[in-house]
Amino acid sequence: MTIFRSGRRRAASALALATVLALTVTACGDDGSGAAGDKGTEGSGKGEITFWDNNGGVRTDVWKEIIKDFEAANPDIKVTYVGVASTEVQSKYDTAIQGGGLPDVGGVGAAMLAGIAAQNALEPLDARLESSALKGKLNAGMVDSVKSAGGQGKLFTVPTSASNGVLYYRTDLFKTAGLEEPTTWSKFYTAADKLTAKDKNRFGYTIRGGSGSIAQALDAMYGQSGITSFWNGDKTTVNDPKNVAALEKYVGLFKKNTPAADVNNDFTKMVAQWDSGEIGMLNHNLGSYKDHVKALGTEKFRGIPNPTTDDGTRVQVSNPVDGLGLFSSSKNKAAAWKFIEFAASHRSNSKWNESAGAIPANTEAAKDAWIQKAEPTKLAAEVLFSGKAQIVQLPYYLPDWNTISKADNEPAFQKVLLGKSTAKEFLDSLAEQLNTAQAEWKSQNK
Amino acid sequence: MIAQDDTTTAPPAPATAAGADAAPPTRTPPAPRRKRRRAWDEAPRWQIYLPLGIYLLFTLIPFYWIVLFAVRPAGSTSLLPWPMTTAHFEKVWTERAFATFFQNSLLIGLATLVTTTVVALAGGYALARFDFRIKKGFMLALLCSQFVPGALLLVPLFQIFANLSMINSLGSVIIAETVFQLPLSMILISGFIKNVPYSLEEAAWVDGCSRFAAFRIVVLPLLRPGLVAVGSFAFVHSWNHFLFALMFLSSQEKQTIPVGLNTLMGADSVDLGALAAGGVIAALPVVIVFAFIQKWLVTGFSAGAVKG
Repeated sequence: MTIFRSGRRRAASALALATVLALTVTACGDDGSGAAGDKGTEGSGKGEITFWDNNGGVRTDVWKEIIKDFEAANPDIKVTYVGVASTEVQSKYDTAIQGGGLPDVGGVGAAMLAGIAAQNALEPLDARLESSALKGKLNAGMVDSVKSAGGQGKLFTVPTSASNGVLYYRTDLFKTAGLEEPTTWSKFYTAADKLTAKDKNRFGYTIRGGSGSIAQALDAMYGQSGITSFWNGDKTTVNDPKNVAALEKYVGLFKKNTPAADVNNDFTKMVAQWDSGEIGMLNHNLGSYKDHVKALGTEKFRGIPNPTTDDGTRVQVSNPVDGLGLFSSSKNKAAAWKFIEFAASHRSNSKWNESAGAIPANTEAAKDAWIQKAEPTKLAAEVLFSGKAQIVQLPYYLPDWNTISKADNEPAFQKVLLGKSTAKEFLDSLAEQLNTAQAEWKSQNK
Repeated sequence: MIAQDDTTTAPPAPATAAGADAAPPTRTPPAPRRKRRRAWDEAPRWQIYLPLGIYLLFTLIPFYWIVLFAVRPAGSTSLLPWPMTTAHFEKVWTERAFATFFQNSLLIGLATLVTTTVVALAGGYALARFDFRIKKGFMLALLCSQFVPGALLLVPLFQIFANLSMINSLGSVIIAETVFQLPLSMILISGFIKNVPYSLEEAAWVDGCSRFAAFRIVVLPLLRPGLVAVGSFAFVHSWNHFLFALMFLSSQEKQTIPVGLNTLMGADSVDLGALAAGGVIAALPVVIVFAFIQKWLVTGFSAGAVKG
């Protein structure tokens, strides 16, 4: 009898536990509504909106500050912040496009813009911008860049910031070796040689051989060859003989002036070893400036724009412009647009870019005092806005660009570094893929 | 069964032509008992410890590196963890909300452990003790389900949870984790239960126990190593799992340690000290769990491997 009585008690407890568990697991959930193709509505301009940050974590604090300011200025709107790691944001968007759960507003970089826009997930913003206070206050080059990256001639994101290629070099090591500032490619190669002392574990340069290697290699190629356009008619210029020669010279640095482990270098490893070792030079963008300051202080290094050719010609490839997109499935587009306008306004845009060390899209923010103090940002802005630099626009508008420039060709570039394939073979193959993708894109957008 | 002892009996004397003139057989002294020695018992110590030491070095250096980055101040290039700072831990724990992530991961891990163990126990018992028509097919289906990667089912799962209004709820991750771990757990548990003689349960029934009481009083205590193995496996797997938490949970208040760790690496910038501190926080519970249960875990897995 005892067994039965305690059994009943246990059964009742188990039932209660199961009920509590069921209520717990379903509590605080949402229905994840909003997939690609959902029309959405303009809404009342009040209520709750969701914002996905495409570089969550490192930029969380500044976004929360901007959201706090926005909610103070718009007490009827509440913004739910979702920080998504930059490495995962593409798959998160792709899953939500297929399964639902898209946000109202999201950070979308130019490199993934075409793919998302092609799935009809983003609302064209041309008309909204035309009647907005932001009209005329956004950098025209960045607006053109995101329009081009969207691939349909429409504005799918309001640009917020741009980065630029930077050559970071150790001023202390250059001074000791009596070297000139690496402002030209010739000086760069001379310095890479002179600063290398393998027996002392010192290297002149660290090359990016792992994730993200292609864009960096393209920057070095076009910078040296002086070719100013990515396309010559419908054919790409990547395998032009001048570019082939430039790439051969650049990959020649591997193991001669760089650590052998660089073949697997993504930006994390590259930055970490530059910050903690004795490597003369590093190519990266503005984003890592603050990490270098934290590790080395401001006295031991400088960040300058990428080198020019010997005659002073400066050619560089375009960096993806970051922006904010309004998702077409949003049920509160009016409130979402208000948030985008606020985030791209002078004060917020300046605050965000100061925190990231990037170049503001808002032209008023670009004149703020902090830019003069952050030397690499100041120099990069001067290069971009001076009109003296030739920018080779990378084809971010190709839906296959991400695949071609990453999964398909990063391993092939490693083969070039390791001597298993030549620069010409690599570039010919890359050119073939790009020409095919371009032809497909053109046929789809006739 | 009588064991034959060949060391104490003398071999029979060979027959000779002399027959009765032959000397009486003498009992030869027993050969000394020789312990069968294995090859590694005879090997010099260094041949054992050197490879183990090298293996340990390779295993532990990455851990040392993580701890080093976690405790040394930003900008330090020292190879020793001195001077030491807790700044990175404080940063991730408070500023980067790892306290919340830790709590969520713990909740998901424990809930998955409980649900997986309970359901696997019931399912494993059925597989071990009952014969039913589709048993073989069912076992095969359980095995085959292991070939399906979670990423493949992401979109359908997302839609199911969305229909149940469970997106951004820890329950979605608990359910998904439990479902994905159940097949292997059930197969393991059924193996453990088969190892428990059926006669023990029958004896308990004769003494008046119901089937459930016999299971609880007689079988369950004997399954402890197996339960530890399955439970710890479920906990560690869900603690480390990244994909479901990334996709089904959106608000920061609901995110887990692996997702939080991922956000410490920005698109162009990474705080290595904070990342290392986050890594230590993520690894610590798993290390502690394994330190306490490793004896049962090894026993559990090897016991389950005897019969399946």
